[in-house]
Amino acid sequence: MIREWTSFFVAVFSLIYIYELSLFASGGKADALNLLRNPGIIAFNVLALLFTSYHALTWFYLIGKIQPIKMGKTTSKPWQALLVNIVLLVIISYAVIEILVLR
Amino acid sequence: MPQVARLHAILWGVFSMGGFIAAFLLPVLIYLVGIAYPLGLWPVTGADPTTLILDHHHLGTLFLFVTVAGSLYHGIFRFQSTLTEIGLAPAKRALEAIGYLIIIIGILATAVYLLQYNPSFFSLP
Repeated sequence: MIREWTSFFVAVFSLIYIYELSLFASGGKADALNLLRNPGIIAFNVLALLFTSYHALTWFYLIGKIQPIKMGKTTSKPWQALLVNIVLLVIISYAVIEILVLR
Repeated sequence: MPQVARLHAILWGVFSMGGFIAAFLLPVLIYLVGIAYPLGLWPVTGADPTTLILDHHHLGTLFLFVTVAGSLYHGIFRFQSTLTEIGLAPAKRALEAIGYLIIIIGILATAVYLLQYNPSFFSLP
């Protein structure tokens, strides 16, 4: 059931961020940044990151369970899909930071 | 395949795609925008991440749209079906209607705000 409730945090973060984008688009960037510094919003974001990471890990495990890959006589195990996708998640996250933030 | 079943399959297919987006792209966005920026953690040094991402014009705008729209669809779609599983089944139709309304308005709003910020998005780089 925890897995289902991760969707609540995914949805609410998305809605808050859409509101942030509306402030950015209408010239209210300072208000948007002040909202991000609100302790309540920071606490929510920490929870949202924890639940989203939980969602990601269980999603990766499910992929391995639902769609195992056949390699010769053996088929892949869910934990192998989890491991491969965690590596992919780290690479993608680092690529986003490197290309869109650091460059 | 009947039309309703086909539509159902398409909606669950998009939900699954949103699941991938929420799993691979949303954690880094939450970290950058919601934690690293207000707490001054790596890699954010000064400028806010949303401005930095949007300064990358096409790629940044596309990243934000795909991440926010995909995650919103996935989150709302799953949350409304969770509510029906925990005892709100009699209100299933109303929950679905509200859910899809939020998804449609949210995705359209995201596109409009991003285009307002980057009006020349559709021009060639």
